[in-house]
Amino acid sequence: MSAATHETEHHTSLGLDNRKLLMWIFLASECLFFGSLLSTYLIFKGESLSGPGTDIFAFEITSISTFVLLMSSLSMVLAVYGAQHGQLGLMKLMLLCTILLGLVFLGFQVYEFKTFASEGLTLSTNQFGASFFVLTGFHGCHVGGGVIYLGSLLIASVRRNGIGKETPLYIDIGGLYWHFVDIVWIVLFTVVYLIPAY
Amino acid sequence: MAEMDAVHDAHDEHPTTTIREYLLIGLALSVITAIELVMSLYDDALGAILIPGLLIFSAIKFIIVVAMFMHLKFDSIRFTQIFTFGFVLAAALLTAVVVLFAFDASDAIGGGFIGDPIEHHD
Amino acid sequence: MATATDGVGAVQTEQSKVWEWLTTVDHKKIGAMYGITGFTYFLISGLTALAIRTQLAVPNGNVLSAELYNQFFTMHALMMIFLAIMPMGASFFNFFIPLQIGARDVAFPRLNALSYWVFLSGSLILFSSFFLGGAPDAGWFAYAPLTDSQYSVGPGLDFYCVGLIILGLSSLMASLNFAVTILNMRAPGMTMMRLPVYMWMTLVVSFLLILSLPIVTVALVLLYFDRNFTTNFFTPETGGDPILWQHLFWLFGHPEVYVLILPSMGIVSEVIPVFSRKPLFGYSAIVFAGASIGVLGFGVWAHHMFTTGLGTVPTLVFTATTMGIGVPTGVKIFNWLSTMYGGSIRFTTSMYFAVAFIAMFTIGGISGVMHASPAVDSQHQDTYFVVAHIHYVLFGGAIMGIFSGIFYWWPKMTGRFLSETIGKWSFWVMFAGMNLTFFPMHFLGVSGMPRRIYTYDEGFGWDDWNMVATIGSYLIGVGVLIFLVNVFRTMRQPATAPDNPWDGPTLEWATSSPPPEHDFDVIPEVHSSIPLWTNREMGIATPEAPEGLHIHLPPPSYMPLILAIGIGLLGVGLLSHLALVGIGVAIAIYGIWGWAIEPTD
Repeated sequence: MSAATHETEHHTSLGLDNRKLLMWIFLASECLFFGSLLSTYLIFKGESLSGPGTDIFAFEITSISTFVLLMSSLSMVLAVYGAQHGQLGLMKLMLLCTILLGLVFLGFQVYEFKTFASEGLTLSTNQFGASFFVLTGFHGCHVGGGVIYLGSLLIASVRRNGIGKETPLYIDIGGLYWHFVDIVWIVLFTVVYLIPAY
Repeated sequence: MAEMDAVHDAHDEHPTTTIREYLLIGLALSVITAIELVMSLYDDALGAILIPGLLIFSAIKFIIVVAMFMHLKFDSIRFTQIFTFGFVLAAALLTAVVVLFAFDASDAIGGGFIGDPIEHHD
Repeated sequence: MATATDGVGAVQTEQSKVWEWLTTVDHKKIGAMYGITGFTYFLISGLTALAIRTQLAVPNGNVLSAELYNQFFTMHALMMIFLAIMPMGASFFNFFIPLQIGARDVAFPRLNALSYWVFLSGSLILFSSFFLGGAPDAGWFAYAPLTDSQYSVGPGLDFYCVGLIILGLSSLMASLNFAVTILNMRAPGMTMMRLPVYMWMTLVVSFLLILSLPIVTVALVLLYFDRNFTTNFFTPETGGDPILWQHLFWLFGHPEVYVLILPSMGIVSEVIPVFSRKPLFGYSAIVFAGASIGVLGFGVWAHHMFTTGLGTVPTLVFTATTMGIGVPTGVKIFNWLSTMYGGSIRFTTSMYFAVAFIAMFTIGGISGVMHASPAVDSQHQDTYFVVAHIHYVLFGGAIMGIFSGIFYWWPKMTGRFLSETIGKWSFWVMFAGMNLTFFPMHFLGVSGMPRRIYTYDEGFGWDDWNMVATIGSYLIGVGVLIFLVNVFRTMRQPATAPDNPWDGPTLEWATSSPPPEHDFDVIPEVHSSIPLWTNREMGIATPEAPEGLHIHLPPPSYMPLILAIGIGLLGVGLLSHLALVGIGVAIAIYGIWGWAIEPTD
């Protein structure tokens, strides 16, 4: 993948793997992305001139999808555990669980978006609609991207040669991305759904 | 500032978290989420401590996932430094922007930084 | 002698030369592509500047219509910033990061190639707007609500959003790559505090981009949504707020100007010690100054918004931070001067540009500190005074720094020397032209000439200085032409430059000019931030390469090109037919999958 990590045990200045370092720096960058979307949401909170507000939330239902995403983080960390301890069966099973739980989360989100649309809240309805859909929509896109990412890892791991001897690293890095998407949701769920409108 | 360490597996340096421990952490996260849900259902009773309370619980969940699931507690300090920098910067900048929108010149008595442009001769 | 294999066949035919460049993952070739592309856009943007100045030479000019003028000044800035200065910076980063840190390539060679091809895609999308319905015409900062679809009816601002998002993606990928490379692939003995100052500046710039690009990406997405999906983030009629755009834009925009200047500061920090034959004065101070400019650069953005009614306290806070950020810059200037003091100065063309940088950037910095005062800024805002400031720091600063680097590193990159005589002519003509163009703009500004006007009437007292500025701009053009003559003449010569013609202290001078494909036969020991000088003093010789040394290099790949085409099509689809988005995504997925499974040995 790169000249430096071609040889095994290749010396790096910080003693870290290049690819893992890349993912962590990328996640730092993603904090700024979601932070900007979140601040846009907060700036427009209470500023809508008409149309539905946060009373449209059914956060009991969203709590279920939040729980699903949290559990997907659990299955993800178990997948990493499996990869690191050579238990590839556990790894593949847990990867599959994570993907399925992620898809359930997305399903809930699609259902929620459609429900809101039928109740009169769309992108163009008001500031709340615009900022809500863009914020949670982009989070959903990241979950979707994560599902594809983990799906690729799973498919690659069931091929004859698997992912290779760096499997623990690749699953670990995939896990970092997935957990990040989860912690973004932790923040979003609280700030958007649980904290009431003022 | 740079360590000339050979590549090593950070996981060798502490006893690996067991499956049981991960499951317990998952349970803790679920319980905290349930508490948050209950808190927001009783928002009137909680009054002013609702929002700080919710934020604190979310912060706890956030830290648990980052430290234990993302392994920052056991990995190189560099990862923690990098991620913390990005996170703190994001929190600071975006808090600043939200605050700037909450209080701007139109709120200040007398017209904000320009001052009252019309001289009143009473 | 060391050999390198890359897994590809040996015979070079004319046709495979093209394929070699399309599939290269060699940082030096990628650097060359960035440099040529960037300099080409620099020339094109220079032409827009000449058109603008011709239009403004006399009152009531009729060279450009108002509509075309707006496109020209908008694209002049966009092209200079995103298609010229940043790529030329990327060119040097690409070429010299591995060489200066003693590595043999960047951390992710294919990602490196991808960032170039995505840059090319994004630049073509943005530039093509001129011919596909009109370039963006609302200023490079694209303030809302002018940019909303009801006021900016043509597709120009959509090209702006899509083009900049793609360009931002390219910069993000490159920055991630460079950050990992510098942090993690340094030669043994090269601690962080032994990094060349240019490397430190590159690292700070990479983090500035990594942390600020996401914010402008959000801004551009929100603008695209406002224009195309009937949201109202920035339009007041339905509850939106144009000031939100300004905040999101400048949260990126201000770190961006440090992205533009820090590389040139790094180049100057390399050039001045070499041509003063004296180590850089206060290495640690310059490094910490550069890092603090990076961090503080996130705390000053609203000084672009002093006239928007922020409120007394916020205005004061931003005044303080803005004035504060002048301090580390001042530290650097004193350190550069102290390096020269007592040194044995060689006045090469590169040194001329570096010294001019110090002077011109100081002037630009002074005008900058002036409008750090909100009271003064309320007079400067939106006048030519700001245009003067911008061009002193960006032309007098960033561009002159780049030219200094070009003359300094040309022998290393090409094995040939740019002519010093012609070089000095081009320097003096550009220097005179630059000052003639931009110094009068201070006067124009304080006498009230607004920015972004396509013409002005007689009787305001602006006629003479505008004429002077226009003459100056043509002089700049002549200076650049002289430089081009220099380049063409030079490239006809044989490549005979020695390894270290200037007696530089950093590792790039410890290999041939140009370097072999594998960069170094043997990487020298590093005991200081000036390893070659230290090694000479301490009598440490770099050993000869062992016989039959075999260095494995990553093989070329066409997946970066494929993925970039996919991303480009995706962008084009967002500007035309959504079906293209699907095709673009499909091609991108093919590119990613091919990337993931292709062998890297």
